[in-house]
Amino acid sequence: MNPEQMFGLANLVALPGWAILALAPRRWPLLNMVPAIVIPLALSALYAGLMLSSFADASGGFGSLAEVRLLFSQDVMLLAGWVHYLAFDLIVGSLMAVRLDQMAISRLIQAPILITIFLFGPVGVLLTLLMRAALRVFRPQVSA
Amino acid sequence: MITLENDRAARHTLSQPWWGATAFSVALIGLAVLWAGTDTRMVDAAKVWEKPLKFAVSFVVLFATMALVEPYFSAPWRNGRLFRGIAAMMTAAMLTEMIYMIFQAAQGQASHFNTATPFHAAMYAAMGVGAVTLVLGVALMGWAALRDQDATFGSGLRLGVGLGFIGSFVLTMITAGTMSSMAGHFIGTPAPGAAVIPLMGWSATVGDLRPAHFVALHAMQVLPLLGLWIDRRGFETRVIWLMAAVYALITLALFAQALLGIPVIRL
Repeated sequence: MNPEQMFGLANLVALPGWAILALAPRRWPLLNMVPAIVIPLALSALYAGLMLSSFADASGGFGSLAEVRLLFSQDVMLLAGWVHYLAFDLIVGSLMAVRLDQMAISRLIQAPILITIFLFGPVGVLLTLLMRAALRVFRPQVSA
Repeated sequence: MITLENDRAARHTLSQPWWGATAFSVALIGLAVLWAGTDTRMVDAAKVWEKPLKFAVSFVVLFATMALVEPYFSAPWRNGRLFRGIAAMMTAAMLTEMIYMIFQAAQGQASHFNTATPFHAAMYAAMGVGAVTLVLGVALMGWAALRDQDATFGSGLRLGVGLGFIGSFVLTMITAGTMSSMAGHFIGTPAPGAAVIPLMGWSATVGDLRPAHFVALHAMQVLPLLGLWIDRRGFETRVIWLMAAVYALITLALFAQALLGIPVIRL
């Protein structure tokens, strides 16, 4: 399997996780584990395999933009970087969904926040944390 | 005391849809403020992030007002389908408005009055539906305040919420409805860089329908607050009818002034 095919596969694995997180009911723990644990685990395994097998031989590094650009000019490293995104975004999305549930935020409002995490990771995290801060002011006895 | 505390906690839990929408709007203010620090692009003589910021502030005020009023209603109303429906519809309308507004602003394009392509025209129409949904939800809440005999409002606050919320709907439909049937919110054409009212951005040189729209919307805060004040002072509740009439007249006067092409304050 070449990097392009693996890229397609990784995306295919990540997407159902986001669909479950944004749209599916939260009352079945087994279903919740799919985006929270199962898919991130699969993506993490893929990432680990790519890094262990290829990072040592790759040129470039993390010290400057030029080094990062050189690193990501190699398809396997670019793929590993992308899988890193996919895995961490889904993990963060799952954690934020738990927080939003604890804050009793309706699924209507949760959906766009989770989609924001999917597309623009940190922006969605920012929204969640700002909401939590605001809720602590509005209803201190309820917000966790 | 314990019962009272439990009751208060229960009420807060029940009003969570409103506080949730308020908190989301607060988060959007935060986002717009961060945006302000990084983007110098302009749309229609305003910075791209100004409209999302103004609307986010406006939604905080709107949803916080709903959240503060809701605990006064009796349990059957608070837990009823009508209130759940109103909360869901208004939240969906807010999300539609804000997501499209931010999406358009991020591309450096207008959202309101933008009918450049069928997509933009459809979204502008959707924003209109959303806006009507928002004020209609407010009106229904005002109607409920007058109907719910077991609500814990004082008589002044009850009438203030009833008249303020329903009045806000009626006056907004008149002012914003007219505005949406036109090509823009100006009556006349302000010169580039012409004076505006500080903070609000309304024209200080030509007619602008936005001040009337603003005053119309905020009947839902002003009249309940006046009602609360009348309850505290022990004045005749009927005075609120007079206040509501005066408020409506002021709104319509601002509206007429704008239609005549006169700025709210000439600078």
